Amino acid sequence: MIPELGNFALYIAFALSILLSIFPAIGVRQNNARLMAMAPNLSIGLFVFTLFSFSCLVYAFLTDDFTVVNVAQNSNSALPNQYKFAASFGSHEGSFLLWLLMQSGWLFAVAIMSKGLPVDMRTRILTVLGWVCVGFYAYIIISSNPFERTLPYFPVDGRDLNPLLQDIGMIIHPPLLYMGYVGLSVSFAFAIAALLSGNLDSTWAKWSRPWTAAAWAFLTLGITVGSWWAYSELGWGGWWFWDPVENASFMPWLVATALLHSLAVSEKRNAFKSWTVFLAIAAFSLSLLGTFLVRSGVIVSVHAFASDPERGIFILILLALVIGGSLLLYSLRAGNIKSFGKFSIFSRESMLWGNNVLLIAATMVVLMGTLLPLVHKEIGLGTISIGEPFFNQMFTYLIVPFALLLGIAPLVRWKQDKLNNFVTKPVVVIISSVVLTLLWLKVEFNDINLLAALGTCLAVWVVLFTLLELKQTSKKVSLFKLPLSHYSMSLGHIGLAFVIAGVALTSQYSVERDVKMNTGDSAELRGYQFTFDKIKNIEGPNYDGWAAVISVTKQDKPVATMLAEKRFYPVQRNTMTEAAIDDGFFRDIYISLGERLPDGAWALRLYVKPYVRWIWLGGIIVAFAGGLTLFDRRYRNKNVAKVTAQ
Amino acid sequence: MTKKINFRFLPLVVFVLLLGFLLKGLFSDPSERDSALIGKSFPQFELPDLNSNNKMHTPETLLTEPVLVNVWGTWCTTCKYELPFLTKLANEYDVKIVGLYYDQNHAPEFGEYADIPTIRVEVKEMLARLGNPYQYNILDLDRSLSLDLGVTGAPESFLIDANGIVRMHHMGDVNERIWREKLAPVWNEISQ
Amino acid sequence: MNKFVITIGLLLLSNIAQATTEDQISFKSEQQKQLYLELTAELRCPKCQNQNIADSNAVVAKDMRVKTKQLLDEGQNKQQVIDYMINRYGQFAHYQPPFNVATSMLWLLPIGFILFAGFVQVKRSKSKQQVDEPTNLSDLDDELAQLLVSDSNNKIDTSASNNAKTEANVKDIK
Repeated sequence: MIPELGNFALYIAFALSILLSIFPAIGVRQNNARLMAMAPNLSIGLFVFTLFSFSCLVYAFLTDDFTVVNVAQNSNSALPNQYKFAASFGSHEGSFLLWLLMQSGWLFAVAIMSKGLPVDMRTRILTVLGWVCVGFYAYIIISSNPFERTLPYFPVDGRDLNPLLQDIGMIIHPPLLYMGYVGLSVSFAFAIAALLSGNLDSTWAKWSRPWTAAAWAFLTLGITVGSWWAYSELGWGGWWFWDPVENASFMPWLVATALLHSLAVSEKRNAFKSWTVFLAIAAFSLSLLGTFLVRSGVIVSVHAFASDPERGIFILILLALVIGGSLLLYSLRAGNIKSFGKFSIFSRESMLWGNNVLLIAATMVVLMGTLLPLVHKEIGLGTISIGEPFFNQMFTYLIVPFALLLGIAPLVRWKQDKLNNFVTKPVVVIISSVVLTLLWLKVEFNDINLLAALGTCLAVWVVLFTLLELKQTSKKVSLFKLPLSHYSMSLGHIGLAFVIAGVALTSQYSVERDVKMNTGDSAELRGYQFTFDKIKNIEGPNYDGWAAVISVTKQDKPVATMLAEKRFYPVQRNTMTEAAIDDGFFRDIYISLGERLPDGAWALRLYVKPYVRWIWLGGIIVAFAGGLTLFDRRYRNKNVAKVTAQ
Repeated sequence: MTKKINFRFLPLVVFVLLLGFLLKGLFSDPSERDSALIGKSFPQFELPDLNSNNKMHTPETLLTEPVLVNVWGTWCTTCKYELPFLTKLANEYDVKIVGLYYDQNHAPEFGEYADIPTIRVEVKEMLARLGNPYQYNILDLDRSLSLDLGVTGAPESFLIDANGIVRMHHMGDVNERIWREKLAPVWNEISQ
Repeated sequence: MNKFVITIGLLLLSNIAQATTEDQISFKSEQQKQLYLELTAELRCPKCQNQNIADSNAVVAKDMRVKTKQLLDEGQNKQQVIDYMINRYGQFAHYQPPFNVATSMLWLLPIGFILFAGFVQVKRSKSKQQVDEPTNLSDLDDELAQLLVSDSNNKIDTSASNNAKTEANVKDIK
């Protein structure tokens, strides 16, 4: 009964989205206030029914309703409750319902928080989101219904959730990531609404900015959590694999980052507007493209959903309509957009232009690297792989100018600045960065690796300049009065510095050792002594297996006692490695238990990974910085309303 | 200034092109690959017969006439499905089929050794039950020939012409449809 | 400085401490180990979804690892090992794409885009001779200026078209 209610609610939501996409639009055209006023109410209704539908699905999972195909295939009565919840979005169908929940959630948020906007603008934005919703809801109802029944012959128990997904990461990663992906639809809707109305002034950028920042913060956090999850769950000690699915999330992030900076120029200087609109379209388009790649099976990936060409066709049509339509609109209308703010070659605008160009170049690298193998094969040149060596090389080249610009940009004035002002400061900073870096690496690792030194040096450069900028600003304005969005910038940059340093240090200084151990054996790695104490049986709620107890000491002082597990999940007949991780601010110790060898010893892989936490710490700081923008007084509803009223 | 190139249409054009490729990509199997050996001669090897340690096989004994080399193992489930069809091919179409026995467990580097007598018993039992298409079986215990052939698992099949050149490679089971559409044209050409 | 000395001391000590455990693979030298790690990270398991041979447990990945080690022991260099694998498993087996007309786009497109964008920027700044008056706000940016204005006028005024007015106000405040 409950699944039917959920299904019914989904249909109602679909109907509401159709209404939303038609009547308010007519209202705008005829200047009919009553029709326009429907938009927020329909939006709220859409969210309420979707939420109800999603709750029904969760209920079906929590109550082990194996008459629902989705539950039978992705859950099991022995599965712990929190994973039953996660399993509700562990399949293609369920995750798409979560996607819709997020989509309608953003719609809801826009509806209740955009009262300050002119009514026609607000209506247009909601209508555009309504159009997107129609496509999504039609898709889930026609080809991916999560409530399908197994009746009359339903199984006694379910097939269980893939053990890889039975992790805290699965509970938080997809919702965060989807919030980000779908949140970009709001920036997209703002851009399309502006193109449709032909009204693109700097207030448009001002309205769009907090929404973009919010979506971007979620996306940042989602990607960060995903990286941490892969690291802790896959058991290979890697934190980024350049897998198509990761790339699919990275591309919208890169473009959204460019968008966020470009919006700043559009808002403050009334420049780059046509470009900003393009970025807003591109960011959401890439998140749709990512969805297609993950769900259609066109590309070989570790974490793709079970593929199905029919679904692929549907999403492809959706892509063609949404992306094709908006790009067409863009190419027809963008010519009318006039940017006024003029600026010289050495100015804040130019610096931000540089930021945008490098970010888009990086997006091209990822996009080409992800899709070229497909194209290469289709044009008959054979199969190729594009992976780590290529991406790492390109990103190493790109990050250097990017970080250098990023350091000085906040100090450069808008419109025009004198290059002469920027001779002594950078030289001083660059010398201090190099000296600090070399000292750091020498003391910490006693070995200067060139790439690590380069990365660390860039990170120090960014931090020093950020602090310098704050210090200079503090001479003019009390730091307490500084707008939050300013802190958001500084903090975001410092977060990125953490990421850069973390990536550089951990990729260059991580050490690993594949060893064969019997009880009592011990092995040494970068000053740590690993002793294999014993192996014991473990029994979990839905698995059993082995755990190796390993005590780690440094100079005979205990550091940690670690439990590296090998789990067997009988329902899915799957063996999983559950790595033991001793985390620390400066280093992680990472152990994964391999197979039992014929002579009774165990294969183990030991790692010491310096500064790996900085990557995620940096990511969290960056996301937090994005969130901070929202609380800037300039973007609060009342003020936006005031500006509009003027 | 005469630059009147409208760059605003560029994204749309790129996107439409991309759509074409994505559509095409939907209907092809992303994991399907051409073998690197097509057009090259069959690699050198010297390996024993599955049933006799003393009888050795080399390219000279294998490549006297067009042959279908089938990589298989008793552990491989899909192989069970193709054995009856391969037997039919051997009997009705007179295709010379030689088995390359691929063992999964043998790994001396890790102290694991396959038990040859057991394999022989299993092979005998399975072939008796499902049909025996093989003129003989080559035992590739350490999977060295398989590595040289770029084999990633079982079943896989190669068509080799009378000159010892690899002409066709197929991953997965050989069935009626695959034979008709993919392998038969090449086979007919090389066996003329 | 003290910490430095201690660190050096530690490193020396840890090198002396003899490991009692066998490595699964015994390398001839630290360089060989590094080379092996690089290669197993760059070579792709041809059977798996998307994994390098270091991370995969597939039989073929194990065989390729063993072969890699064997070839290194024979004294082959990195490129020779890669070529060996490519000759058998095709370009697919290496995560670095080969350079040809199609793949050249991987490098040329982003680089071309950066050059083009730089060119446009220089052109734009040259074609527009007169730039808006530089602000007199020294190191303050507009954002701060607007804040000051808003504090003094008790309202937020941010639309960019009002910039001139804003600047004038700030001058007054000063």
